[in-house]
Amino acid sequence: MAYMHIGKDFVPQDVPGKVTGRIKYSEDYARDGMVYARLLTSPIPHARVVNIDASAALAMEGVFGILTADDVYPDGEPDGTGLKILTNEPTLVGEPILALAAVDEKTAETALEAIIVTFERLPFVMDPVDSLAPGGPDAYTGGNTFVFREGFKSEKWTADQVAAFRAGSEPTAEPQQQFAYGELEAAFASSAYIYEGSFATAGYPHHSMEPRSAFAYWENGKLYLHGTSQSLTALAADMAGIVGVPIEDLVFINEATGGGFGQRARAGSIPSMAIPAKLSQKINRPVMMRVTREEEFTIGGARQGFQGWIKCGFKADGVMAAADMWILSDNGGKGGGGDAFSAADCISILYQAEAMRFRGTSIGSNTAHRGAQRGPGQNQIAPIIAPILDKAAAELGLDRLAIRMLNMPKNGDVGGPQRQPLTSAYMPEALNMGATMFNYPERITRSRQRKGSKVTGIGVGEGYHNAGRSGMDGIVRLMPDGRLAVHNGVGNLGTYSYASTSRAAAEVLQMPWERVDVISGRTDRHLPITSPQDGSNSIFTNTRTNWGAAQDLLVKMKEIAAMDLGGTPADYSVGDERIFKTADTTSGMTFAEIGQRGLQLGGKFTGEAEVPEDLNDFTKLSVSRLAGSALMGIFHDPRHNNNPPGFTATFIEIELDTETGKFDIIELVTIGECGTVVHPQGLKNQLVGGAVWGIGLSALEQHLYDPQNGLPASTGYWQSKVPTILDTPSKIQTGWVDLPDPENPVGARGIGEPSMGAVSAALTAAISDALDGHVFNAAPITADMILNHLAGITTDAVPLAQNNYRG
Amino acid sequence: MGEIVRYKRDVWGEDVILGVSWDLLWVVAVAVLILLAAHAIVMAALANKKMDIPSAEGRRVLRHESIDRLFHWVMAASIFALIITGIAPILGWGWAWLDMHWIAGLLLTFVVIFHIIRSLFWQDFKSMILGPRDFGEPFDSAKKPGKYSFEQKGMHWAVTIVVLAVVVTGILLFMQIDTPFWDRTNSMAESQLGLMFLLHGLATLALIALVATHIYFALRPEKMFYTRSMLTGWISEDEMSANHDPSRWSPKEAD
Amino acid sequence: MVATSHDVMPDIELYQPTDEANALALAGTLGRDGWLLGGGQDTFGWLKDRNKTPAAMIELTQIDAWKGIKEIADGIEIGAVTTLTEIANNPLVQSRYGLLAQAAGHVASPQIRNVGTLGGNLVQDARCWYYRRGLDCYRAGGNICYADSPQGLNREHAIFGASRCVAVSPSDTAPALVALEATMVVQSESGQRLIPAQDFFVGPARDIVNMTVLNAGEILTAIRIPNTWANAEFYFEKVADRNVWDFALVSVAAVMKVSGGVIEDARIACGAVECVPRRLEAVENALRGQQRSEQLANQAAAIASEGARPLNYNHFKVPLMENLVKRAVRGQA
Repeated sequence: MAYMHIGKDFVPQDVPGKVTGRIKYSEDYARDGMVYARLLTSPIPHARVVNIDASAALAMEGVFGILTADDVYPDGEPDGTGLKILTNEPTLVGEPILALAAVDEKTAETALEAIIVTFERLPFVMDPVDSLAPGGPDAYTGGNTFVFREGFKSEKWTADQVAAFRAGSEPTAEPQQQFAYGELEAAFASSAYIYEGSFATAGYPHHSMEPRSAFAYWENGKLYLHGTSQSLTALAADMAGIVGVPIEDLVFINEATGGGFGQRARAGSIPSMAIPAKLSQKINRPVMMRVTREEEFTIGGARQGFQGWIKCGFKADGVMAAADMWILSDNGGKGGGGDAFSAADCISILYQAEAMRFRGTSIGSNTAHRGAQRGPGQNQIAPIIAPILDKAAAELGLDRLAIRMLNMPKNGDVGGPQRQPLTSAYMPEALNMGATMFNYPERITRSRQRKGSKVTGIGVGEGYHNAGRSGMDGIVRLMPDGRLAVHNGVGNLGTYSYASTSRAAAEVLQMPWERVDVISGRTDRHLPITSPQDGSNSIFTNTRTNWGAAQDLLVKMKEIAAMDLGGTPADYSVGDERIFKTADTTSGMTFAEIGQRGLQLGGKFTGEAEVPEDLNDFTKLSVSRLAGSALMGIFHDPRHNNNPPGFTATFIEIELDTETGKFDIIELVTIGECGTVVHPQGLKNQLVGGAVWGIGLSALEQHLYDPQNGLPASTGYWQSKVPTILDTPSKIQTGWVDLPDPENPVGARGIGEPSMGAVSAALTAAISDALDGHVFNAAPITADMILNHLAGITTDAVPLAQNNYRG
Repeated sequence: MGEIVRYKRDVWGEDVILGVSWDLLWVVAVAVLILLAAHAIVMAALANKKMDIPSAEGRRVLRHESIDRLFHWVMAASIFALIITGIAPILGWGWAWLDMHWIAGLLLTFVVIFHIIRSLFWQDFKSMILGPRDFGEPFDSAKKPGKYSFEQKGMHWAVTIVVLAVVVTGILLFMQIDTPFWDRTNSMAESQLGLMFLLHGLATLALIALVATHIYFALRPEKMFYTRSMLTGWISEDEMSANHDPSRWSPKEAD
Repeated sequence: MVATSHDVMPDIELYQPTDEANALALAGTLGRDGWLLGGGQDTFGWLKDRNKTPAAMIELTQIDAWKGIKEIADGIEIGAVTTLTEIANNPLVQSRYGLLAQAAGHVASPQIRNVGTLGGNLVQDARCWYYRRGLDCYRAGGNICYADSPQGLNREHAIFGASRCVAVSPSDTAPALVALEATMVVQSESGQRLIPAQDFFVGPARDIVNMTVLNAGEILTAIRIPNTWANAEFYFEKVADRNVWDFALVSVAAVMKVSGGVIEDARIACGAVECVPRRLEAVENALRGQQRSEQLANQAAAIASEGARPLNYNHFKVPLMENLVKRAVRGQA
């Protein structure tokens, strides 16, 4: 398919600003009379605030006021594990208790030191399994788990059940959640090889490079909130409710964001932005709240860690007959998520197990706030399943790529407990492309070859995430000067999808890109609602909306042409910024002429009448504010069918030094399968970025809490061991399948999350391979674990689980 | 002058006791020096009035058996070692003091237990008990003590209390560190730990004051025969009758 | 409780002397209240977190007399305020004392090496995370160690020489200078002290709050490296979690005089296994006069780890240390 824009690179309009440093993040704004807020956070993992004596602080010169949980929640704090704006019952070290505003941050910090908070210390727990033990401490008051619509509960297992789980056996407790399909017993019975084992994966923070600073002021009853967000309209719509201001009175400004990874997409993940808003309201001054790295670590979200058990059965020919998983998720001190369910769902899709059972339970611990992180669930299970597949292959005498190709999802396949069909799936092409680029047949012969103290490891990995949603809205305008304004509610979290999805609208109109203005960045530019920018969905969801809006505009443009030049709209075509008669190209109107005509005509042409009924309220508000300003295309996207997937296939060769436990990545090839590629450079960024993070997940990143006092050890980049440029290969080879998906007008699907899981899977498999197939059943696998394994150190050398519980 | 108690923050930011303020070491040193110097000056001024030192010649009576003298000197040596090793890091002397400190501490503990048992069952325990009569003794030159004078009993019990305090707290502190016998557990609450350090420190300061005082009096010319008896075991009959009431203490002849 | 403060630099008195006499006078007057500042890479974290609150800082980076690398009668002298990048790239150091060039070139990251000084790298404070968090542990003048507990996170901590505190020496250049038998030049208002590198560092048994023997008012001003090991065979290796920025999990610095495959003499020191750079004298003795071989390397490795006492999570340091010593004996591939 030959497109004008789709599949071509371009320079998104925020790039010059980012390169020159002129683009503004929330910290870059200032206003007369601005004061600075600093947070007083909990030093204790679980406590109740009995008293706050801020008198000395408030009496200090340059201090303007404080904001407490009582100010924010006059009717009591909401019941649940969600992040609070401020709280009087912290359930993790670092949770914000109050905010103080002062003339500068140094004064604010000095004033904070003068505040005396009296705490009642409460029991705390770092490991969910400790909480399940009889008599074990609960992370929250009222229990260790929160059941939707029922409230807090204290779930306990018997001592035997806990011991058995810790010993690696299948848990016997009743799970909170489960699904199953197929004939599990029969499937295991028909298996030639069965793998059974326990596993643990790290739940580590999102580490967004831009901390969630926010700046707020009120003017004429309107709140102007400069924030940081993955989403724009999706977040603003809910943020208004959190702050307690009508949506019409909120202007949310966010031109660019430095990372989010799942915990900055929805207002519930970032209630801290309400702090400067409410403090500003209280003291009647603009308030800048700059968040530190340590605070970002604490309230910025972390992955749910898993402790689980898995049993996989493979037939003699290598087909995965059955998969049975029991996963205990760490809900942290706040938040939670459905990661475990998604992990099981991912297995069912990537490996097409004939029968499956999933059981899961989520228990809290007084550690970081948990929430969705790039591939939540799918990417935890990726490094666990990969070595198991390799082990099965070895046992059954199969090649490890062959066993994957035997089980991979293809067009027409279904997945998940609902057996939902995939909209399309080109995994065979992805694996083949990767194998060719990687020269798999040659490299695999080097598996386990030794060169001095070094040994080669080869790994193949696959990643998946659901990659598209629908039901959102689109707005475009044809201006009187003939330019196209694409109103895009997509947030700019650095993926450029706010721009790439706008290309779909330009494509419909065959509009040169330099004649297109992407209107975004602040909600008072009147934007449509979108789905939050998480879950790899934006490219699918918003090419649908922008395409649809542009189609609506095109219909109106043709109507106007027919009105003025005769005939019916069907007689007209679009091209060269004109609408012209297909039969007689000389008869036509320029875009500018049509734009002016539309403005003249008004009514339905300018959004003043016949606005689609099913538009979201947020969009209706934006349309009403744009009404009468230009010729408009307005669209409400109906629901799509089935599950649009994003896939990635990765091949890795490493050289592991058995004397130091360190390895070098010799070659990394990663292939994206995301339907039609809309923005190649953007896709490449996702593949490379995902690869870097996959390396971190598999081999480096830590999330540590001292079990005796609940203090976080890894509160910054250094101790967290985020990959550096010297830990990643200097060249990451990328490729993409680029075959269209039927549920999207240009054939696009998303890729952000599987690009990480596939690399993590491949790298873990490669490390395993280099160690003669030893399965650690953990992520990450660090140098010390490798050294301990090679030296045979097991008994009292408990590997420091790279998470907050003992591994 | 500084403070008496030092504070620190516990692991959750709460203020707790850290230990005694070692400024007090200087306070104690200066106070002891002044007081003992004052005593020496006063005694020197009174010298021409009284000091008739009895003769060491003649028959000898047994004051301390060899086992008790050994106990005393082992205890003295261990206390000396404990004080030196304990004070070394405070004064900034850079040597590895800890192992020597607890080894001396264990030795002290052992000999103290030995002495408690021996004194209760093998010695004349009553001879050391302080009664109302003893309190009148310093004011009435006619009242002579039994085996031990009021001052000696006072010193004994003061040292007993202080040494027990320092040993008990010392053992509790010893249980908080890595040793060849066990690994530390950090199971004692930090507030309690600080209290143990404070009591251990206060007891140490008291002990330093008592030891200095004890050595001073042990070296006084009119008391020197007692010191000799702790080395050789005997005092002369003259020394005995000059300082003690034979109806209260009748030692056997020394070999 | 009072709030614990992180991430805002407090006000502080800054002195920027431009000559030695002023700097020494300031150090003498301020004593422990005067924080000596080189490149600041150890300092700023403490200050920003407000976990150490010195009243004043004495910045040494403007004292030219304490910068630079020069030849002296019996070797070279490096000013303590010389940056690590300058040392790593210096032709004299590279050609004669390549061990130090390598060690300096492995410190932290290029950005840190560009401003970090050799003196700062040598006198830097322990990196135990409990200590760095500002907890009142032994090293901070308190009465407890949080790392050495049944569940303490002590993966990066010591396997030798623990005495209540279990922190390790984090410096990469320290083991190299111990191996090269360098001498530290320490100055104060009352004069100069020359301290052999090995004696410059101190462990918790002797001093639990300081990492070096520097007294209040003293400044490390230069490091002298004798000709003894110039152009010898060198081996330096640092193993860390990541390939840049991280402190060593274990490091080894070795100098050897080898002739005809026979190790005539050697000096070997390991970093990050003890609170001081650990000189492996027993290994040196075992190597002296021996023919280089894989068997010798294995013997040396076993001797190196004798007496190691792992904690909860640092058992891996034993095989890692053995392997690095083995590799040092083998020499460059």
